[in-house]
Amino acid sequence: MKTLAKKDLVDVLRYWTGHCTVMTPGRKSHDEIVFDEFDEATFTLDYRKPSLPPKSSCLPQSETIFQVDSGTYEPRISEAKVLLFGIRACDMTGILQSKSFMTADTDDVFYRARAENLATVVMACSGPQNETCFCTTTRSGPFSKQGFDLQFYDVGDSFLVEIGSDKGAVLASAKGFAEADDEAARKRVELFRHEAQGRIALLPEVSQAMERLERGGVSEELWDKFGSKCIVCGGCTYVCPTCTCFNVADRHSGNGGGERIRTWDACLYAGFTKEASGHNPRKTQGLRIKRRHEHKLLYYTDRDTHEGLCTCVGCGRCSDYCPVHIGTIEVVKAIAGEQS
Amino acid sequence: MGDYSTNMYSPRAVSIVRTLPQISEHRLFQLKLEDGGTWDTFGHQPGQFIEVSLFGKGEAPISISSPPTRPDTLEICVRRTGKLTDALFELGKGSRLHIRGPYGKGFPLDRLKGNNLLLVAGGLGLAPLRSLLLYVLDRRDEFGDLILMYGTNSPDNVLFKYELLSFFDRDDIKYLYSVDRDEEGIWKQYVGVVTGLFDQATLSPDNTCAVLCGPPIMYRFVLEKLLNLGFSKDRIYMSLERMMKCGVGKCGHCAMGDKYCCTDGPVFNYAEIEHIKEAI
Ligand SMILES: Cc1cc2nc3c(=O)[nH]c(=O)nc-3n(C[C@H](O)[C@H](O)[C@H](O)COP(=O)(O)OP(=O)(O)OC[C@H]3O[C@@H](n4cnc5c(N)ncnc54)[C@H](O)[C@@H]3O)c2cc1C
Ligand code: SF4
Ligand code: FES
Repeated sequence: MKTLAKKDLVDVLRYWTGHCTVMTPGRKSHDEIVFDEFDEATFTLDYRKPSLPPKSSCLPQSETIFQVDSGTYEPRISEAKVLLFGIRACDMTGILQSKSFMTADTDDVFYRARAENLATVVMACSGPQNETCFCTTTRSGPFSKQGFDLQFYDVGDSFLVEIGSDKGAVLASAKGFAEADDEAARKRVELFRHEAQGRIALLPEVSQAMERLERGGVSEELWDKFGSKCIVCGGCTYVCPTCTCFNVADRHSGNGGGERIRTWDACLYAGFTKEASGHNPRKTQGLRIKRRHEHKLLYYTDRDTHEGLCTCVGCGRCSDYCPVHIGTIEVVKAIAGEQS
Repeated sequence: MGDYSTNMYSPRAVSIVRTLPQISEHRLFQLKLEDGGTWDTFGHQPGQFIEVSLFGKGEAPISISSPPTRPDTLEICVRRTGKLTDALFELGKGSRLHIRGPYGKGFPLDRLKGNNLLLVAGGLGLAPLRSLLLYVLDRRDEFGDLILMYGTNSPDNVLFKYELLSFFDRDDIKYLYSVDRDEEGIWKQYVGVVTGLFDQATLSPDNTCAVLCGPPIMYRFVLEKLLNLGFSKDRIYMSLERMMKCGVGKCGHCAMGDKYCCTDGPVFNYAEIEHIKEAI
């Protein structure tokens, strides 16, 4: 364990920028909190849950995967070294789960290169960041148990800092960090975790819904009801830390060359499964919403979940941002509330 | 820094040796490796597919139509339906294109060996099934009786016509075919849907494996027929089509239930996917 005085944090961040691109929360125009390159003028520690998860650090919303020139496909593997400062434990779990999905069995090198060159500094939550947090249910927060390089606990004027990896040890060798490996520090962290956990209400409907999905006991009417409300914006998949589906397209730049790019895609769109013949095996919006939730709550593998309950990490963003209230919270509540 | 030199998305260049027009809007392409070598090194199995790239038009999954027992060329049979396939039809002998693969789980040869085989194809479904059909004919003594049922919508739409006609002269394959409609009255064989052909064959469900390849509607009717005849679900194999982007289990497009069609399939036995409502 290490300790770092809050007044020294900016110096540390500045020091880290000499070695990699440091992403931190910043208060931007209209008071919007955005994770962006460290900028002293906007940097803030008062940031709660950022609206976007950090998934674009490994899977950008749009990225060039091949540069194509006179018939040769040159892969564009990112060499960027990026440090994410202050991500939340739910999002850390999201990165772990997605990394496992994207690199196990078949290896997505574009993803892996970014993930392996990523450093993560988790800011443990002292309680819910807003009313939609349910990470204690999905076992993905309020603090991280694995995968992080450093984890910060805000204990007033200073942070207690847990080292999670060799990379983290190097990061914590920066000027300002001091040794804090004593009984008092450990007890302080224990107390922090205990209190934080106690402040985040459990959402028993999650496991009830999972059981019901497992049994095949959810009615088609329930999905159709959500389907008829859905405006097909796809926003839930964009704000989700564990949604990684993508599309691939080519972009010409004249003289036969150009770029092959990939972009985020969403299983909520009808075109996502439509075949060239016009046949669409997932015919209705209700079935598409069913797919999204079954993927989070039913069709996950132990390989990918790590310590989480499933592949929803309980960040609550889909419930925060869905304009017509079809977030995971609303869906699990509807499933659990259905008469069997 | 890790090792990022092996990239499953990197396509390799191949060139077209020959194009053979099939029926309207369908064409067979014979491909060769740029280094001139045989396709032995490619390691494809009957039922697998490749991703074909034409820069600017994207990529599309296309079944391999030729068997590994004929490694001089790799054949694909393509239906013209859109951006990429339109552009493919503009290409002729000597043109270059890019491919990656082979992908997916093909027909389970180890399971099929020693059994009688009933192959049922509908329309373009013959394209993937042909890789198995020719494989079996090339290794004829490893399999039992062979029946091919092939249905198309009209007499004008029979793929691989001359190859199929030659089967009438062989006594190691029973070939039955049907057309849905015959408006000009030129068809000498069965008119009606492919399931009607079952009356012309004697099948023993205990030592026969059925392999189906065709449009979803065909699966529903043929499955019903086979189950009524007493076929067990794990003796019925089918190749499924899905919208696919990556072909390697990452993009999510082909997911159905707990399976990814591109890596867990495209060939499944019925017992594996029966519980997945949207599968068929
Ligand atoms: C496993 C498998 C095997 C196939 N084998 C053959 C074959 O042997 N011969 C053949 O002619 N066709 C085959 N298809 C269908 C073929 O992939 C589509 O016809 C093709 O993608 C159409 O591309 P397009 O650009 O011409 O059409 P457009 O409609 O202009 O574009 C559709 C785009 O969507 C994507 N796409 C991926 N999968 C599909 C799909 N299943 N249906 C529609 N679009 C898809 C591609 O990126 C494609 O470029 C197969 C499909 C699958 C899944
Ligand atoms: S499904 Fe919703 S609550 Fe779960 S991780 Fe995704 S955005 Fe967060
Ligand atoms: S085609 Fe991308 S996951 Fe199957």
